Amino acid sequence: MNRGLNRILLSTMGVVFAALWALPFIYSVWTAFHDEKYSANFQLGAPWTFENFIEAWQSAPFSLYFANTMILITIVLVANLILCTLVAYAFVRYKFRWAGFLFALIMVQLLISPEILIVENYLTLSRVGLTDTIIGIALPYLTSAFGIFLLRQTFLTVPKSLDEAAQIEGAGAWRVLWNVYVPLAWPVYLAYSLVSISFHWNNFLWPLIVTNSPEVRPLTVGLSVFATVDSGVEWSLVNAATLMTTAPLIIAFIIFQRQFVANFMRAGIK
Amino acid sequence: MTRLKSYATLLGATALTLTGVASVSAADLEFYFPVGVNAPAVETIQALTDEWAAANPQHTVKAVYAGNYEETTTKALTAANAGQPPQVAVLLSIDLFTLIEEDVILPISDIANSEEDKEWISGFYPAFMSDAQFEGKTYAIPFQRSTPVYYYNKDAFREAGLDPEAPPKTWDEMIEVGKALTVKDDNGNVTRWGTRIPTLGLGGAWLFGGLVVSKGDVLTTETGIEARMDTPATLASLEFLLRLAQEEVMAPGGITWGDTPKAFLEGQTASMWTSTGNLAFIEENAEFDWGVGFLPGGDGPGAPIGGGNFYVFQDTTEEEREAALDFIKFMTSPDSAAKWSIATGYVAPRPDTWETPEMKAYAERLPQALVALDQLAYAEREFATFQRAKVTQYLVDAIESVVTGNAEPAEALSKAQEGADKVLGDYQ
Repeated sequence: MNRGLNRILLSTMGVVFAALWALPFIYSVWTAFHDEKYSANFQLGAPWTFENFIEAWQSAPFSLYFANTMILITIVLVANLILCTLVAYAFVRYKFRWAGFLFALIMVQLLISPEILIVENYLTLSRVGLTDTIIGIALPYLTSAFGIFLLRQTFLTVPKSLDEAAQIEGAGAWRVLWNVYVPLAWPVYLAYSLVSISFHWNNFLWPLIVTNSPEVRPLTVGLSVFATVDSGVEWSLVNAATLMTTAPLIIAFIIFQRQFVANFMRAGIK
Repeated sequence: MTRLKSYATLLGATALTLTGVASVSAADLEFYFPVGVNAPAVETIQALTDEWAAANPQHTVKAVYAGNYEETTTKALTAANAGQPPQVAVLLSIDLFTLIEEDVILPISDIANSEEDKEWISGFYPAFMSDAQFEGKTYAIPFQRSTPVYYYNKDAFREAGLDPEAPPKTWDEMIEVGKALTVKDDNGNVTRWGTRIPTLGLGGAWLFGGLVVSKGDVLTTETGIEARMDTPATLASLEFLLRLAQEEVMAPGGITWGDTPKAFLEGQTASMWTSTGNLAFIEENAEFDWGVGFLPGGDGPGAPIGGGNFYVFQDTTEEEREAALDFIKFMTSPDSAAKWSIATGYVAPRPDTWETPEMKAYAERLPQALVALDQLAYAEREFATFQRAKVTQYLVDAIESVVTGNAEPAEALSKAQEGADKVLGDYQ
């Protein structure tokens, strides 16, 4: 009896929370496909329209911005995966002087919010002449303290005996990394990639500050044209543009949903 | 060029002079601009910039869209600190003190020093120049300036038996008229409010400045070190906002800036206080007869002025400054300013703009645009001090806590004053 009640309560709560989470999304879909005057006026018979998407698409060179965002997150992700793996591997596998101190130093970076470093980073970039380039946007993010930490913790859970067995079979350091550590950390790689992609997909202030030309600017900067402060917000246009720019992420999530959730669970349980 | 510039910063003034000598009379300008109104503004800016570049083939100019006002200031300050400032930028007029404190801008009166230039500077509306000057120097040139006005639904006025050509002029009239305009359904729920004055955030603080001006006081002065938050005028203004809610003329609680035009268009309110920057938007979307009037005032008319000015940055060569000045002159010339004003609703900053045939035709088609211009005579500078972001927040917090019913007006204001004085004490 009690258990039955609990279950009903839990499912009701689940449904309520799911609805709360979904509401903003449903609202943005509604406004994006309707005329501006229906944006706070929900009539089931209201005519559907694609006008908002067309208007939004035309107000900035979005195809260019899409390409730039793609290039940017590819550079960042590839560099992250390689660099973080190597650093984490070194920390786990080799005992060297100052290892603890160096790791602590990397951890300290987690405490510093990237916004504080904007001026310093800009200065560095302008000295090497990389402002207003995609590589310049990516440069400060090529490695990540969080990624190193995550992979180090994961590598630590790999049984020492597996590593030793591989060595006895004659595998070198690279081989051990590639054939033992990386496959076992696979779920963590997926989870980390997801977090990294969505972070860089959404990053706005740094790309805005460090770039001047539409040729290198990412989606978020294009999207901000709709942040109309003085004249009030045209929700239908804003939401059409937002849906359009987040669509690839949403579609990717729907396709890979099962893997993502499973991987997060596994990564979390460890 | 980029590399050249960063070396110049490293080596200091000597190198700067050298680059100056080395370059010919041509200049490559970077121009940062923010967008505060809807998207077509970007196209208009780009078109005007291209027009100047075509007329001055020896120079180049790159118009860089830099986000909203706040982001544009951040971007310009970052670039300036790294020794790569834009030569020219449109930034908030109230950021003047921040830019001076950071020592990144040049007084325009230092570059524009011929007799002709002086005459040009004196050709702007004095109301717009008041917050462009500091300690006797002109640091900025007005470009996209706005002021709030009272928008009202004439159909609603007729329905309530009011004269649609006589918007309320005083606070008392506003409450009286507002009561007539408020409509309730059979259950006693309000379906249309009498008015809507945004009270939350920076927009709320901006309008609050207008209330205070209409009570014969100001929130700040040209010194940048004075915040007058706890005065009889501010107290009366806050109490007026509360009274609107108590008399059921305006919805109780905080009111957001961004949703206000929408509420007006959808008939949820019969009138609203918002920027002239909305003229084009309302004209395009209103499905009813609408008018514009002065902001109703406490003891007389009063309004704040807001918006953005042109600034010229330090760390630029002689040629770049000359070109920047020429660019600003072009952008504020009657023809350009007319295009900009018509596309956006910003108030053209010079009387000569209003004499152009385009502007005359515009004023005839949309006489509402003239109200803001007439109201200028009663308008004062927007709240601005050194450490503006920090100090303004005290004011914003005070207004918000009172309208949401979490604090008493007198108490909230004295607390805000205390906070502001503490910050500004360092600048005395």
